[in-house]
Amino acid sequence: MQVLDRVKINQEISDLKKTYGDDRSALLPILQDLQEKYGYLPNLVMQETAHALDIHPVEVESVASFYSFFRRKEKQGKYVLRLCQTISCDLSGKAKVARQLENELGIKFGETTKDGMFTLEYTNCLGMCDQGPALLINDRLFAKVTPEKVPQIIADCRRDFVKSEFPKIVPSNVKKSGPILSHDLKPGEGLKAALKNTRSGVIGLIRESGLKGRGGAGFPTAVKWQLAGAAQSAKKFVVCNADEGEPGTFKDRYLLFDHTEMIFDGMTIAAYAIGADKGFVYLRGEYLYLKKHLQEILENRRQNNLLGENILGKEGFNFDIEIRMGSGAYVCGEETALIESLEGYRGEPRNRPPFPVDTGFQNHPTIVNNVETFLDAALICVKGAKWFNEHGTEKSSGTKLFSVSGDCEKPGIYELPFGITIEQLLKEVKGENAKAVQIGGASGRCVARKDFNRTIAFEDISSGGSIIIFGPQVDMLEVAINFMEFFVEESCGQCTPCRDGNVKLLEGLKLLEKGRCSVSYLNELMRLAETIQLASKCGLGQSSPNAFVSIIENFKSEILGRVPEKA
Amino acid sequence: MAKVLVVDDDPDFVSAVTIVLESAGHKVSKAHSRQEGMQVFDKDKPDIVVLDVMMQEPDDGFVMAQDLKAKARVPILMLTNVGQVTGLDFGKDSEMVPVDAFEQKPIRPSVLLERINQLLK
Repeated sequence: MQVLDRVKINQEISDLKKTYGDDRSALLPILQDLQEKYGYLPNLVMQETAHALDIHPVEVESVASFYSFFRRKEKQGKYVLRLCQTISCDLSGKAKVARQLENELGIKFGETTKDGMFTLEYTNCLGMCDQGPALLINDRLFAKVTPEKVPQIIADCRRDFVKSEFPKIVPSNVKKSGPILSHDLKPGEGLKAALKNTRSGVIGLIRESGLKGRGGAGFPTAVKWQLAGAAQSAKKFVVCNADEGEPGTFKDRYLLFDHTEMIFDGMTIAAYAIGADKGFVYLRGEYLYLKKHLQEILENRRQNNLLGENILGKEGFNFDIEIRMGSGAYVCGEETALIESLEGYRGEPRNRPPFPVDTGFQNHPTIVNNVETFLDAALICVKGAKWFNEHGTEKSSGTKLFSVSGDCEKPGIYELPFGITIEQLLKEVKGENAKAVQIGGASGRCVARKDFNRTIAFEDISSGGSIIIFGPQVDMLEVAINFMEFFVEESCGQCTPCRDGNVKLLEGLKLLEKGRCSVSYLNELMRLAETIQLASKCGLGQSSPNAFVSIIENFKSEILGRVPEKA
Repeated sequence: MAKVLVVDDDPDFVSAVTIVLESAGHKVSKAHSRQEGMQVFDKDKPDIVVLDVMMQEPDDGFVMAQDLKAKARVPILMLTNVGQVTGLDFGKDSEMVPVDAFEQKPIRPSVLLERINQLLK
């Protein structure tokens, strides 16, 4: 049994406060570091953390219980094996890998081996959908895992990965580049171009380009920057939303590794435009293996005066960026939940208004933009608005990065213009045989063949970039169940329509699976879905029934009247 | 007496302000969007602009103020209840909010006329 030394814990917390600060926003990083040290968060550790930050212990317990990566009861194994349970990995044969992991370790999912070496868990999307099944072991990522590879992976863990043949960073799979990905800019080039312009001039350029948020919601970037720039406050913040949790999305993982400089250029340009002096990259916990790389680039930028004080000689322009890790909560991709998390609270979305552009991080004006948006903004500052908006449509200018996975011959990352039809996209990725395409991830909608002539654009079918292709053999009821299980697990539980409504929808799908759901009850569930869309507080709840509704509408004949297989 | 351009997407507000301004002897031009406002400005060349913030886009008023100041030395009275509705806290800022005065809606007619007269001096 582990003996805890209160004095030693207090010293550790005191040291961590020197790194992360002594206000409430330091809570998550302190807990993350302490968990890494102790293997879980013992009560004494949480109590002492609470005292050190001058908050009630129940506040710490409340935060620790919210995020799936925190463990409070049982010490986790030296190696935590997290197998992706998203639909793309399902389609790639996850079930057999899961069974083999259990066989090799002699434990079930959710358990830890008696020798304390291994903990086996399911996790939501690891952002490796084009190379699934994906397995995360601490900060190591494994792609295209097969049952045959499982014993070798376990053996590598036992050897602490000495002489492991598995790469620590799995290369990305870029299948098609366009004007954004094939840029040839050097670090700081976007920033240098921007600093020749006035603050309002930079925002004007972004406005002229028509750039809209690449996370999926499509809010005009220039409006966000203008409102934050116009807001009055002694402090302002720039946040890069790198909490890429939408199932089927993995383009930000690639951008964060291969286009890091331009993303930081974009953040620094935004800071100049709105008058911010501090930025955060909120990196999802599943991407911990990217943190070191990001920190190295940041340090390099400090050395080159691309961060720090009087950046590139611009008197009074001071800005720096800090990496903050998420801890396994999909809802933190919603900007107000993300800000709550940054502040050291449960990632529960806020009521709006007030908006983050005025009342964001610690009540100061804050802009939160997607990784891809910052990259686009940096390139626009060099290449101009016309270069950007000569692609795409009138209301959706530019190109978009798509993460394509599922039943196609060429899964991977594609840069394609907005306005492309689903049919054209399927031809590009060699997935013409598809019977359905999920656009926008779990929160998006499932489009059937009859609608393949529709376009992907903010004015038609909007998407943050996730494209999951379902071939003729896929059971669409299983797809719907997978998505609803995801939302039941990821709902923050704050508002009733989302918390309870999604449970009822999932129960209904299970009834359909057993062939025990009447059409009248199904119609009731469709009305409930509409209520969830209307009455939920945040974007997660409002979009959570989209997949349910679109699958039921498009595939009713496939779903009704099931005869369950005999056991 | 002056030529006043009122730009606001709320037609009732524009009508009410027009009555107040015309009763004080001013000549009023009207527009209901940023784009229309710039066109009317170029055509009528007003002495002063009374400008809303949130119109088609939430930042239209700020953008129009920047565009106006880039092309003319016209005084701008920004008139909005954006702070009360959204919690947004704005004020004069020489670059991002280049206006000459910033007033909250609703505004008393006498205060409106007084502010306009001050800005015209």
